[in-house]
Amino acid sequence: MKFRRALGHYLEIYRVQLKNNFVREAVYRSNFLTTLMVDVIWMGVELSLFTVLYANVPVISGWTKEQVFFFLGIFFASDALFSTFFQRNFWMFSDLVNKGELDILLTKPVNPLFLALSRWVNLTTIFNVFLGLAIAVRFAQPAGFAGGWLWLTVGFWLLVGLASATVLRFVFSIWVFWTERSFALSRLYYQFFHFATKPDALYPPAIRYLILTFLPFAFIGSVPARALLHGLQAWEYALIVAVLTGFFALDGWLWRKGLARYQSASS
Amino acid sequence: MKLEWRLAALKNGFQDATAYRIEFVLEFLGAALVPAAIQWVLWYALFTIGGATEIAGMTHAELIHYTLVSILFTQIRGGDLDFELGEMIRSGQLSNYLLRPVGVVEFIFLRGLAPKLFIAGFCLALGLLLSFFTELSPFRLVASMGLALLGNIIYYQLSASLAAAAFVWEEAYSLLMVKNMVVNLLSGELIPLNLFPASLSWVWQSAPFYLFVFGPTQYALGRWSHEQFLTQLGIACLWLVVGSGLVRLTWGLGIRRYLSLGG
Repeated sequence: MKFRRALGHYLEIYRVQLKNNFVREAVYRSNFLTTLMVDVIWMGVELSLFTVLYANVPVISGWTKEQVFFFLGIFFASDALFSTFFQRNFWMFSDLVNKGELDILLTKPVNPLFLALSRWVNLTTIFNVFLGLAIAVRFAQPAGFAGGWLWLTVGFWLLVGLASATVLRFVFSIWVFWTERSFALSRLYYQFFHFATKPDALYPPAIRYLILTFLPFAFIGSVPARALLHGLQAWEYALIVAVLTGFFALDGWLWRKGLARYQSASS
Repeated sequence: MKLEWRLAALKNGFQDATAYRIEFVLEFLGAALVPAAIQWVLWYALFTIGGATEIAGMTHAELIHYTLVSILFTQIRGGDLDFELGEMIRSGQLSNYLLRPVGVVEFIFLRGLAPKLFIAGFCLALGLLLSFFTELSPFRLVASMGLALLGNIIYYQLSASLAAAAFVWEEAYSLLMVKNMVVNLLSGELIPLNLFPASLSWVWQSAPFYLFVFGPTQYALGRWSHEQFLTQLGIACLWLVVGSGLVRLTWGLGIRRYLSLGG
């Protein structure tokens, strides 16, 4: 009963946050088109890169062009979900600490981390989720995706991608409590993010191990696409659970340590 | 030509960029090594796993050489100066600069150029050191770095012209992001441009972006003759003139619309 009441309370707060964000975005309508344009071009560049490579070879590491495009569709959709619900919050994260804006969140009778990660919702990028899914649907059959009831699992795998991106981005952002500026680390996240834009089968063993464990960028799109196309082995499911649980625990621990170090606006 | 303020802008830019040294080094290393690692991964997948022996006339070793040498030039162009210009227009901060007796576009360029010159010097020294142990020609390396620096100017001119869109549309962020993505692909930073099919080579040849990374790397590796290099140098100079004209035109028109409250 207590849990249900708390859940209802948080859902109501989130509903209000969504409403506020919707009103804000309705004011800046041109933002919708420009955001869409940027993401479409980004998708175009990624697709072009593989088009150029596949103009020279028929298969890369056992992946055909259609399979890579299916992967990219899943990856784009997963990334667009992250952009919609979390990206802006992480960009604003260093301001929370440096400018002392966290003070306000700490005074509210709700978990400050929930507020810190849910204040900004970029509703315009939700369209790109559908764009990514459209690419996946277009290449599903030629890629060898069995379809049928497996389409129902796409949502689950997108959530795995979303959770992975969120816990990873958090690890790269939280250091602002110690370093004062987290700009370079944020940039470093986006440099490493490039590893997520290719199927993990392409990588040499050492890098593949890294992006499946300590820096699980492969969980954002590659592993979900592989799961949908070929299925995973039991140990791979266990690995996903272990890595994501480990990252959730690490993020929580770092957050508590960071809060203990926080010195309000002078931090 | 007043030298004092230009030197002061360079000094100020360098101090600003290196105020947070760890950030500066992290950003440089991340931006230089990760794209190279991605390229290396692609060659690994194509040759080691896929068993290819040659792609677009290039062997595995030649592609690895391209990747390694291109690192010397990938960090010369770029920066976020165009975003800074766009934000200045949008927020009205531009007014502070208009009051000063200096050209705002040039001032911002010089501030951003200082760390790039430092990085260029570092990369050149690294390249010259490598030339002792490899077949890289020191002369070609110096000339290639010169072309990369010209590329830096052209890149800024085109970026500043695009940033002037903020005078009309309030913000130019999206336009600049799109430009960055296109430059990433067409500069040769992601893959050597000769991997493009012949039917699509006009795409990269009709823009100046290949002069930023692909061109300098080709010359440094000895894949361009001296004559080809001189021709490309001439093309770069033409682009400089075009870029200069574009900056004058876009900023001239933009300033007339500027209301000091944003675009």
